[in-house]
Amino acid sequence: MKKSYYVSDALHEYGETVREWSVAEVRPYARQADNLHAPPENWREIMDTCPVPLVDFYDNPALPIPQFEEGPWVRKLVTVENLLYGDCWPCAVVPQVSAGYLLLDRMGTQAQRDRWSGILQSTEAKTALGFTEPGCGSDTSMIATAASRHGDTWVLNGTKMFCSAGAFADFVIVFATIDKALGAKGIRAFLVPKGTPGLIVAKANESKLGLRGAITSELVFQNCSLPLDHMLGWGIEDEPPSSNDNRIKGRAGGLSVLSNNRPMVSAMAVGIAQAALDVASALLTERHSEFSTQRWSAIVVELESMNATLVRARRLNFYAQLLADKGVKNVTESSMAKAYGPPTCERVVRRSMQLIGPDGISTEHLLEKWYRDIKVYDIFEGTGQIQRTLVARALVGELAQ
Amino acid sequence: MTTTYGQGPVAQLARQVGLEVLGPAARIAESQRAVPEEVWNVLFETGLTMPIDEQYGGGGVPDSLEQMEIAENLAYGDPGIAVAALSNAAAPLLIGRVGDASQREALSLLARDVEARSSVALFEGYGRSPSEYETSFTPIDNGLWRIVGQKLVVPFASEANPLLVVGISKSDGTLKAAVLDAHADGIETKLNTRALALDAMPTFTMHLDAAVASENLLGGVEADADELASGIAHYRLLLAAVMVGTAQRANDYASQYATERVAFGRPIAAFQGISFLLAEAQIRIESARLSIREAAFWLKGSLAFQQEVTRIVNYAGVVATQSTRDAVQVLGGHGFIADHPVELWYRSAAALSTFDFDPLYSNFEPAL
Repeated sequence: MKKSYYVSDALHEYGETVREWSVAEVRPYARQADNLHAPPENWREIMDTCPVPLVDFYDNPALPIPQFEEGPWVRKLVTVENLLYGDCWPCAVVPQVSAGYLLLDRMGTQAQRDRWSGILQSTEAKTALGFTEPGCGSDTSMIATAASRHGDTWVLNGTKMFCSAGAFADFVIVFATIDKALGAKGIRAFLVPKGTPGLIVAKANESKLGLRGAITSELVFQNCSLPLDHMLGWGIEDEPPSSNDNRIKGRAGGLSVLSNNRPMVSAMAVGIAQAALDVASALLTERHSEFSTQRWSAIVVELESMNATLVRARRLNFYAQLLADKGVKNVTESSMAKAYGPPTCERVVRRSMQLIGPDGISTEHLLEKWYRDIKVYDIFEGTGQIQRTLVARALVGELAQ
Repeated sequence: MTTTYGQGPVAQLARQVGLEVLGPAARIAESQRAVPEEVWNVLFETGLTMPIDEQYGGGGVPDSLEQMEIAENLAYGDPGIAVAALSNAAAPLLIGRVGDASQREALSLLARDVEARSSVALFEGYGRSPSEYETSFTPIDNGLWRIVGQKLVVPFASEANPLLVVGISKSDGTLKAAVLDAHADGIETKLNTRALALDAMPTFTMHLDAAVASENLLGGVEADADELASGIAHYRLLLAAVMVGTAQRANDYASQYATERVAFGRPIAAFQGISFLLAEAQIRIESARLSIREAAFWLKGSLAFQQEVTRIVNYAGVVATQSTRDAVQVLGGHGFIADHPVELWYRSAAALSTFDFDPLYSNFEPAL
């Protein structure tokens, strides 16, 4: 019998392998990453122990690339959920998980992709995304970072917050307005290589509630001058038209990339919540004789109920990504997936901790860490509120605010 | 029922101390795993958290409703320090109700020395309420009682004097408490590692298999078990009040932020997705507060009342964890970084919700 309704046996087994490896090799470094506010120093050695290549995320040239019948989005979903089942710190070190890479791929011209994507094939490379600013997050039309044209250059001025890996990324994709009067239509993406004069790391790393294995930086652009062709999509008009050219300019491009990434973000939360639930279930089972019969019965029902909830979240994730792989528009389904998974996963982690009792919050277990980590998944890459607005718009149009 | 809850001079003083003294010390207290000395001094001088009768050198015992107001308003400043201060006062609370003359005399140390700590080893985890505690008190030879059990999150155990332990009498099934010496034979205390939050109060796991003299039993062999149960209910409600204070502060903070943060052309408070979140939190908070007030008014020792307290405490946990997560949500990415205190409240509420948690009194509910 087929093992999973959503994926082939081959992909299912691949996911199981990733999961077992992540528990054995990634999880033991979870506390260290949290304490250091950085990935473990030997992260590359750890990642290289994975017996299968983490396709699209961390390819090991020494290993053959597995072939699956599924498309890339479903495949990525399986990889990412199982990878995060161990712990979330690898997100900070796998290059292609970054939206910066996706943006270059989606919004860059052929010449731009040829020029920079080579860097990205290296497991050393990092990209960062400069979208959010101190004064704007959900409403990206308010972006105030300005790009002004001076002859053969663009000059950037402004501040970007919450840039993952921003302090050391090989390049940052920065969204800036070329004309504030144009509102959302005036926003363009610029590729700023590391070391460009005027790119200042104002704060290398924020002190965060969770997800501390990832570096989160504040970047300031002060008269940061770039050649004209560093605007993604620059000169695209000169390229011969292509029937399958689905590149999108400006803010819409950024948002569309985020859209495809949304079920992935939910899958990350599901991976963490499933880990918390499984760890809690094992601890509770060990201690079950300490509970009254009535309480133990209630706990068994709760654990089942939480598992079922995670299965429901997973279904929405798979459905949205299946549509993406088939080239079907999935903006609404992606939003549903992201609106559903993260806040419920947060409750699963919290409940797992509570069922264990006062010992559940101890740093001797990872539950308390995961409760800190999980909160951000309902915030970044579009808050739960934004996802609801997008789903509502599919129902009632622009009336939904 | 009055309509002035939270508005009297004691509540106002607690609010002021919470905001001006506890709040600014929250981060340092957490990192140092200790309430700073100057904060203890203010709490000591104001007498807010040490309910000891004037006869023993204390500043008097506020009524139970006032004590709930104090707990809520100190927590409005910082839940971590509030829990530490209130836990330091749990022993006097029980001794004042049940203790015999010599046990009450011992309170004078707490009344005069700001550095003195006391503690009650109460919680056992596993959803147990006091009547179900498995820590047992058994009479043995020579007027001695054997106490066997395990207690979790015992505050200040290594330095507490007095240190009380609560359990169930094997002879008649009633609640009992005893004054212990933490360093006596048969008592093992182990400092807990850091936790999700509330690190301002060092907590210990305590294993007991010790013998105490009958004069160490709180109130003696014939102590009033109902009065003891009522005192324990009082302390449990104080921690519920801390959760309500935490929720209220988080909701007030997020509400203020929502009026200032602009997106899509207006303050985010103008969107129902935000304002209803805040309104629903406030409705839950008010409901939890009223239930604490009412229970603090009745304070009884009956089994039915203990169950009611369990219900109230667990509802306060639901309210506080949900309100604090919603507050982080309203602040968005800013809520996730330590530049704002909501992340601290998110951690504190969840941590405190585990102390007296009972899976029978709340349910897992998916967000959607």
